[in-house]
Amino acid sequence: MIEDLVVGLAGSGGDGVVSAGESLLAAASSQGFHALMTKSFGSQIRGGESSCRVRLSTRKVLNPGGILDVAVALNWEDFRRFGAELPIGPETVLIHEAKAGPPPPDLAPPQKMPREVISVPLAELAKSAAGTDRAKTTVVLGALSGWFGVPREALERGLQKKFARKGEGLLEANRKALASGISFATEHPLAAPRELAQPAAVSPKMLCDGNEMCAAAAIFSGCEFFGGYPITPSTEVMQILSRELPRYGGVVLQAEDEISGVGATVGASFAGKKSMTATSGPGMSLKTEMLGLASIAELPLVLLNVQRGGPSTGIPTKPEQADLFQAAFSAHGDVLRPVLAPTTVEDTFGVTVEAFNLAERYQTPVVILSDQEIAQRKETVDPIDVSRFEVVERVRPTPEQLAGGYQRFAATPSGVSPLTHPGMEGGNYLAAGIEHDLKGAPTASGAIHAAMNEKRFRKLAPLQERSDLFEGLGPPDAPLALVSWGSSAGVAREAFLLARLRELPVKLLIPTLLYPVAEPVYRAFFASVRAGLVLELSHQGQLYRVLRMFLDLPAGMKSFARSGAQPFRADEVVEQLRSLAEGLR
Amino acid sequence: MKDLLTPNDYKSPLKPIWCPGCGDYGVLQALYRALSAVGRPPHEIAFISGIGCSSRIPGYATAYGFNTVHGRALPIAQGVKLANPDLLVIVAGGDGDGFSIGGGHVPHAIRRNVDLTYLVMDNQVYGLTKGQLSPTSPRGLKTVTSPMGSLEQPINPLLTVLAYGAGFVAQATPADMPGMTALVEEAIRYPGFSYVNIQSPCITFGEEEQQLKAHKGRMKPLASLGHDPSDQLAALDLARAYGTELYTGVFYRDPSPPPTYDALVRQRQAELQRGERRPRSRVLDDFLKP
Repeated sequence: MIEDLVVGLAGSGGDGVVSAGESLLAAASSQGFHALMTKSFGSQIRGGESSCRVRLSTRKVLNPGGILDVAVALNWEDFRRFGAELPIGPETVLIHEAKAGPPPPDLAPPQKMPREVISVPLAELAKSAAGTDRAKTTVVLGALSGWFGVPREALERGLQKKFARKGEGLLEANRKALASGISFATEHPLAAPRELAQPAAVSPKMLCDGNEMCAAAAIFSGCEFFGGYPITPSTEVMQILSRELPRYGGVVLQAEDEISGVGATVGASFAGKKSMTATSGPGMSLKTEMLGLASIAELPLVLLNVQRGGPSTGIPTKPEQADLFQAAFSAHGDVLRPVLAPTTVEDTFGVTVEAFNLAERYQTPVVILSDQEIAQRKETVDPIDVSRFEVVERVRPTPEQLAGGYQRFAATPSGVSPLTHPGMEGGNYLAAGIEHDLKGAPTASGAIHAAMNEKRFRKLAPLQERSDLFEGLGPPDAPLALVSWGSSAGVAREAFLLARLRELPVKLLIPTLLYPVAEPVYRAFFASVRAGLVLELSHQGQLYRVLRMFLDLPAGMKSFARSGAQPFRADEVVEQLRSLAEGLR
Repeated sequence: MKDLLTPNDYKSPLKPIWCPGCGDYGVLQALYRALSAVGRPPHEIAFISGIGCSSRIPGYATAYGFNTVHGRALPIAQGVKLANPDLLVIVAGGDGDGFSIGGGHVPHAIRRNVDLTYLVMDNQVYGLTKGQLSPTSPRGLKTVTSPMGSLEQPINPLLTVLAYGAGFVAQATPADMPGMTALVEEAIRYPGFSYVNIQSPCITFGEEEQQLKAHKGRMKPLASLGHDPSDQLAALDLARAYGTELYTGVFYRDPSPPPTYDALVRQRQAELQRGERRPRSRVLDDFLKP
């Protein structure tokens, strides 16, 4: 029995591989499996190569998985385009469309070719069972059911849901295609049979992606304004909020450009509303000036950057973690802007709520650095008890403070000054991008500028102590460390568990708070560390370099980093840790 | 009942940084008067600007002011108005702010018809950076960045905003203070996007024929020409004379103003919220699959 199954499918745009993946995901979820699906495309709107990978397990799924257990290729050309995104090895069961011919001999380097390669006449089976070769991915689902024990009833329920509205004829045709796949599997058993263990119980789960979760969390946090401009892969956030926010009394403005989108967001925040914008790399570049304005005018604002491959247009449809420098440092002047990163669809909820809370509490723009994988991967999430999340509101002046001559940028011990908004009597002030005194009057005084910079930094000092924004696992005195963030953290979590099973002396640290660098938290963590890895998907290893900027890292801490669209595998991380552990002896 | 508000109630204690003799002083006075005539208390007014000499103006009024970044007053003002449609929102800036660096935002503010009043202090030159070519500088103008004379055709702000579909378009000059005050007041009262092009002379870098004295001799009230402000085509025709004739008054006023964007947004919110309103704490229910 196996407890974990990683399936990858690739074909061309019209083949329906993503649709098949979604059916598999829905079936697994309804059966009580934990499951996760990522999608990957070329950049074409229609056609082009298209792939997905689905991981299902009786245990919590930590990442999309490494080397595929099952690979399905509808043609070789498209399958190969995904390279390291769909890695295969000797243990992979490789299923391919018979018409495509046998697999090219160099399909799997640096791994050995799969031992089990099965040619299935998918189009032919679909045609004879369903009358159309368009049902070939349904045949694939049937085969997966037959070979690996993905429950047939769950798949049928999925088909029912999907095709019910399209007419009984289509539904029946797909049922037949499913049956045909199952029969094929029964008639051609695997040389080394693998049966998936079934979940002990079915419990209700949510099925959603990171963009959906972020939008939901924004609503939960009390967001009432969203200004944005469509950009892959963040657009879904604006789409969902366009539908939902007006129901809660909010507004979404699809602006004429990225600058206007964030500008309107700054304006709405000035007007007293919790406000948000979302974008991806190129849009973030355009929004930078407005973030500086929000910093100096001390206005709350949440900006979601769903990272994609960069620079410039880069790879819009695939993940990378190379916007950390930009999120933290893209500003003129001295600016401290909190940056948070979710690591899963599930924690995107809490991270988004935290972003709104930090923004409101400290009157500052806050950047959420998600990435294409988290934003667009769909996964099962156990119900979230939202009552455990606090929702923070900006501090308003008391009637006494208003009556006594309101000072917008009043000096306070915390550095946070009570904030009014238009409509509040007695609270009138001038907000500005120009440096200002306590009342908001423009100034060119160096002394006042220094005091205001100090205030703007001082108010964020409490972030240094926020160890709750870090996930730490493993023995506190371990000499070996694994640090990771964003979507790579899912691989790090699995690698950590595997490394512990192999008795490596390793501990794990996953920061949600990326910037400012919480020095005390890292210093405590690194105290016992002699060697380790910072795992992240960027050419430069940006978190590693930011940490070195603020901390004296142990000499043995190395960057394990590579460009986007080439996800890490847990086994390669474990191998690196093992070799570092040997060096410690 | 509250006492009537006077122009002084809108005057802030900050002293303007403008050069003595700058046209913007007149604009500020006209604004104080127009605001007191409209009568909204200062705390219900949001006064948004970009960057430039004229963009310092929100600091000199007692409203909630926001002196933002160069060229972005309109996007920020739209966010303010949509977040709270009860506010009176006024946007101000110069010709560079509105038609050069921020020119991309003008058509969109107009086509959305957000209820804003946009006052552009058009002086055909960059003043704050000391005398460079502006988007409304006449062709041939010699400045520090066009030492041999500009090779560019100026943009025509009046024609542009009319063509974008603005419902209220006027032109004023501080050479006619009562006229300018009345136009600013009418623009504020217009229910929709309103635009006033104010020929506000730059005393330091402006041309001789752009000064108040010259304006007094050149200006031609549109009313005296028998122009019907509800005639959009006639307005477009008259606007073509920007740069050669100094027409003052209302070029165009939509006789039946369409609903504003902010009003439509509010109406839609009300429709969607009719009946049971789902609490924000139940927002995840949609994702929950049995």
